[in-house]
Amino acid sequence: MLRREFLYSLSATLGPAAFSSLLAEEATKSSGSSGPHFPEAKAKHCIFLYMEGGPSHIDTFDPKPKLSELHLKEFQRSGEKQSAMSSGKRYYVESPFKFHKVGESGADMCDRWEHLPNVADELCFYRGCQVESVNHPTANYHVNTGNRFGGDPAIGAWVNYGLGTENKDLPGYIVLPELFHPQGGSANWSNGFLPTAFQGTPLRPKGSPILDIAPPPGITQEHQRKNLDYLQFLNRNHASQHPQHDDLRARMQNYELAFRMQVEVPGILSLDDETEKTLEMYGVGQEPTDNFGRRCLLARKLVEKGVRFVQLYASTWDSHDYLAKAHGALIPAVDQPIAALIQDLRQRGLLDETLIVWMGEFGRTPDNGVRGGGLAYGRDHNPDAMSIWMAGGGCRAGHTIGATDEIGATAVENVHHIRDFHVTLLRLLGLDDNKLTYYHAGRFKQLSQFGGATIPELIA
Amino acid sequence: MSCKAFRLVCLLLGLMSGWNSTGLAEAPSVGEKLFALKVQPIFQEKCAGCHSESADSIESGFLLDTREQLLAGGDSWGDSVVVPGEIEDSYLLGMLSREEEGFEMPPKEAEKLTEEEVWAIRDWIQEGAPWPDDERIAGIYRDFAEGVVVQTSGGLSESWTNRKYDPEDLWAFQPIQTEFPELSDACKCSPVDSFIDQQLDERGILSAPRASRQVLIRRATFDLLGLPPTPAEVQEFVDDPRDDNEAFAALVDRLLESPHYGEQWGRHWLDVVRYADSSGFANDYERPNAWRFRDYVVRAFNADKPFDKFIQEQIAGDELAEANGDELTQEQRTELLVASGFLRMGPWEHTGMSVAKVTRQLFLDDITDTVGQVFLGQALQCCRCHDHKFDPIPTRDFYSVQAVFATTQFAEIETEWLPDENLAGMEEDKKYHRLRHAANEKVLQELHQKQAEYEAEWFRERGMPYKTKAEAKKAGVAVDELPNRTLKTAEEFGKERIGRKWQHRFNWEFDRYKPFAYSTYSGVTRTPKSSYSRIPKPDNPSKGGELEKTAILGGGDPFSPTIPVQPGVLSAVPGALEVSFPASHSGRRTAFAQWVADPENTLTSRVLVNRIWAFHFGRGIAGNPNNFGTTGKKPTHPKLLDWLATEFVSNGWSIKHLHRVIMNTDAYCRSTTHFHPEQLSSADPSGTSYAVFLPRRLEAEEIRDATLSVSGELNPALGGIPIRPDMNLEAALQPRMIMGTFAPSYVPNPDPNDRNRRSIYIHKIRGHRIPFLETFNQPGSETSCEMRDQSNITPQVFAMLNGQEANDRALALAKRVLDECDDEQQVVRQLFELCFGRLPTDAELQATQQHWDQMNELQKELHFEPVEYPVEVVREAVDENTGERFEFTEKLFAYQDYIPDLQPHQVDARTRALADVCLVLLNSNEFVYVY
Repeated sequence: MLRREFLYSLSATLGPAAFSSLLAEEATKSSGSSGPHFPEAKAKHCIFLYMEGGPSHIDTFDPKPKLSELHLKEFQRSGEKQSAMSSGKRYYVESPFKFHKVGESGADMCDRWEHLPNVADELCFYRGCQVESVNHPTANYHVNTGNRFGGDPAIGAWVNYGLGTENKDLPGYIVLPELFHPQGGSANWSNGFLPTAFQGTPLRPKGSPILDIAPPPGITQEHQRKNLDYLQFLNRNHASQHPQHDDLRARMQNYELAFRMQVEVPGILSLDDETEKTLEMYGVGQEPTDNFGRRCLLARKLVEKGVRFVQLYASTWDSHDYLAKAHGALIPAVDQPIAALIQDLRQRGLLDETLIVWMGEFGRTPDNGVRGGGLAYGRDHNPDAMSIWMAGGGCRAGHTIGATDEIGATAVENVHHIRDFHVTLLRLLGLDDNKLTYYHAGRFKQLSQFGGATIPELIA
Repeated sequence: MSCKAFRLVCLLLGLMSGWNSTGLAEAPSVGEKLFALKVQPIFQEKCAGCHSESADSIESGFLLDTREQLLAGGDSWGDSVVVPGEIEDSYLLGMLSREEEGFEMPPKEAEKLTEEEVWAIRDWIQEGAPWPDDERIAGIYRDFAEGVVVQTSGGLSESWTNRKYDPEDLWAFQPIQTEFPELSDACKCSPVDSFIDQQLDERGILSAPRASRQVLIRRATFDLLGLPPTPAEVQEFVDDPRDDNEAFAALVDRLLESPHYGEQWGRHWLDVVRYADSSGFANDYERPNAWRFRDYVVRAFNADKPFDKFIQEQIAGDELAEANGDELTQEQRTELLVASGFLRMGPWEHTGMSVAKVTRQLFLDDITDTVGQVFLGQALQCCRCHDHKFDPIPTRDFYSVQAVFATTQFAEIETEWLPDENLAGMEEDKKYHRLRHAANEKVLQELHQKQAEYEAEWFRERGMPYKTKAEAKKAGVAVDELPNRTLKTAEEFGKERIGRKWQHRFNWEFDRYKPFAYSTYSGVTRTPKSSYSRIPKPDNPSKGGELEKTAILGGGDPFSPTIPVQPGVLSAVPGALEVSFPASHSGRRTAFAQWVADPENTLTSRVLVNRIWAFHFGRGIAGNPNNFGTTGKKPTHPKLLDWLATEFVSNGWSIKHLHRVIMNTDAYCRSTTHFHPEQLSSADPSGTSYAVFLPRRLEAEEIRDATLSVSGELNPALGGIPIRPDMNLEAALQPRMIMGTFAPSYVPNPDPNDRNRRSIYIHKIRGHRIPFLETFNQPGSETSCEMRDQSNITPQVFAMLNGQEANDRALALAKRVLDECDDEQQVVRQLFELCFGRLPTDAELQATQQHWDQMNELQKELHFEPVEYPVEVVREAVDENTGERFEFTEKLFAYQDYIPDLQPHQVDARTRALADVCLVLLNSNEFVYVY
């Protein structure tokens, strides 16, 4: 087991031939299958745009004109399922944004989206998804790992476990967080009970991309090489004393791989090779798009390099107050970069094999507490209704699937639990949730926890 | 508990053994027996999820509830799914043998039928696919099924209640064997060895020879203390004139008396009980008094507290304190209250967004499952929604155990400090905490000032005669006409949120320095407040809330109670049905704990000795220390396990006695190298024979502690408030979200003496772990960890080679050795002795000196500046009110007085060059592996 985990680590180019054959053998043994379960599936990569905090479906992609009639009308929520937040006087609130139909498909978008309409026909909207948790960390865990309480492998870990790696120089699952980590922290990209090597590797937006990847100040490659040579001398002597201890060789090799990675990784993250035009298209160097634009561009580069699963976080969409201002500012920060990503992938012929997913951990309520009124109103957490969209990767572009009720309180058409969305996501990537299992703590575990159904309407 | 006969009702009647009349009016046919005993169970277990009226959604319109439905078929194959008597025409067989492409059933590869199962269905179809009624099926099962019935409190269905088990799967529920034949005294070996050697003989395996004394002292010292032996200790042991066994026994005795023993073995226990200093989830608030539980555990191991007592204190300490109030000293009472903090170790919080019933259930489910895993080796969570699929644990038992905890409530209870508690460093720590708090208060005050100005302005603009909202409110202005929030910019909103949140946190964190016990009491359940301050214990625990009535929850949903249950235990354990519980809300846990710690409980002592064994040998006698059920690995040496359990209990549940019994054996002292490795690997491919000792990698904390120990920097003080060592600075300042805002930064202790303490004392924040420890497989503390992984991943190299802590240790080690030794050869010898417990070979000596010289040349060219540490950090964040970015500055007060460890600019090139040598030694395989 130790050998296998090592082989899946962030490895650089492999050395001796004997070692490569070992890798091939171990790779087959340790992944869920020897390839996709559905070879006809188009998607080979996934870029997951995680809108942390729970974007409001009502104010992005799911217009609710009825709320204008009900605006500031009062109602009460009751019952023992209510939290402190949802108790007391509540008011319906309308969306502060105007909606229009865009693209040939006539998709609904609010007018804060100015660039996304250009690629509207590439998108497949889904309004039927429901989750269980109303708290951020548990909802994040639920969306990312299928388990509300965390501790299980994230989708990206499962996908890499199932499809294996395309580029041994890079981790197969890369996370591009905001400067700050989301609620629930690194358990959102955990390998769970899968081998450690399937863990998501967060590339830090500032400072060193991977912790301690750079030698201490003043220490050169040459300097470190000499230390490594001396280390390997000691390790060789030691290994000759312990010929039956298998782990020794793996750990020795690991130092060589790490040494090469130190050189290679920083180059991969540089945007220097990109044209002015590309940078401009993603909004790099401009506000408010620079931050997310850089990461979208990097996501494209990583996918080109063969990284299976890239997850980007944009936050925080948790607009309990001042919805107009908050969502009004958040949308333009991601709008142009996302549109550029889709266009860029399309022009490079990569959109078909790259599934893009846009979602948060839940939607938002049509109502707000007593804090509302005027322009100060926002919306609270709503696990019963949300907007998700996908693009590329064999999804059913140009369609809107499912519906919420007339005020956006709950999904009413083509309603599925998040587990079914997970199954569908895997299906688009050629993986069968029922076959992508791992034996742990007494049973075969899977992303959907206990199995689920595909949502055929989302697949082209 | 009185001695009970084992309750298995043996009905070992095979399929082929013929019919004996016990109630069936007519002998069943072969086909009927096949159906009742083989076919229908497969249908129910593997097919009913999608092909039954009871399924959530029925697939392909195909049902398997009756013979008629089966024969009618579904959408795809119609009536040719099964043609009775015609196996060639029955498509079902192709699906089940996975030959019908696209129709492989069941769809989950992992659930595919075995060949034998497919054959049973084939033969049944051949026999005409008979389908007897339920009563007859039950009769056939009763009379003909193999296996044994276990008496339990009963499942949700009669068929579960009456189902039969393979006796092998029930090993943990069988009485512990306490009588053993005279162990052969042909050899002077220990009883442990006689069990191991017997199996080696039976399997024809030769064992490895005894390891050298040099190897053994390193093995035993790391094992018992988590630290390397000093060169003097190695020398003393190697030179001990006594025979090997005697000398080693004396070594074990010495190590068991070390106070560091409790740190190492307490740490193992803290993995099992998932200790952390914070709540996890959205707020990840510090639990400011949790550290007292950690120290309680260390003390318990050091004092060799009888484990039955240790169990009872953790499960019911507060009740014991209450019940025996008059007889107890203040100290004893405190100890008991701290002990039951065990019950609250899991991640848990209740926020303004939380639904009270849901968070309560979260606790109840967590503690039920945890108690099952930790003490009983039974993962109970499976039974939250249904009777156990494989083990004799009905869902009723899950909720009966849950009822034991239904009156368990949280409280921080005021106590006295214990004389053994280490209060050092509190004033120092509090000083910085005060500074932090005061700075935050100042920001808040400024914002409130601004808010007041804005409010006044708001009223002025509207021509209203008020200055403040409060004033207007008092004057009777309607809520709707008051200003909502009067801050303006993203920065103001953002800072105000941070300020408020940090105010809660900081206020609560002052409790770190107060003698509260993070504890529990028994009483009614009150509506919880958002948990951002300590929970007081109410004056009257039985008033002001609801006495929970536990019931079996449909699908585990707290809003779907079904059958009410009473407090109880795991009913399959012999004697369990006779355990009684008090009617009052207090005392349930006491009764439960007594049952757990009863010598006759077939699970507890086995579970404990197996854990101890597993930590010594790197694997349990039963391979899954948290799972003694059907799906866990069976014991490789069941008699040894029972012998150890008996020995343990009859010696007063003494863990130290158990260490002696286990360690003073040939098995423990064997070499890791075998003379005939190929023979061994073919005779013992899974490595269960104990013919060799398994090498192990040091655990995360051991690596850090060992480097501090050899560098001479380790402060060996025991216990006290959590410490904060240096963390990779980028990780320390990594901003992270907590509910509604951002968490304060991680700032190390300014004094190296506080930082460089053993890793067990590191502040364990669930949402912000020390990257070095995490990368070396320190487990997360969500669930109980039975054994740690030892994976080899590349980030470990970065941490050990490039990380600041590793480089600091290397430099300190170089300085230490240069200070202690006169000539170069002596330096190298001392280094090898410190790091590896042996002298270098001539080749190593030469290569090391050469490398030192070579690095000296490189280092001479290098120039180092003092490192500047940040005294503040500027953060960029997005405000959730406006969606706009803003910046805020956090002062890092402790860095103002920060004393770094020895730095490169403080020493000459030769020392730095030796530090290069040291860094390599600390990275070497010989340093991180124990043999």
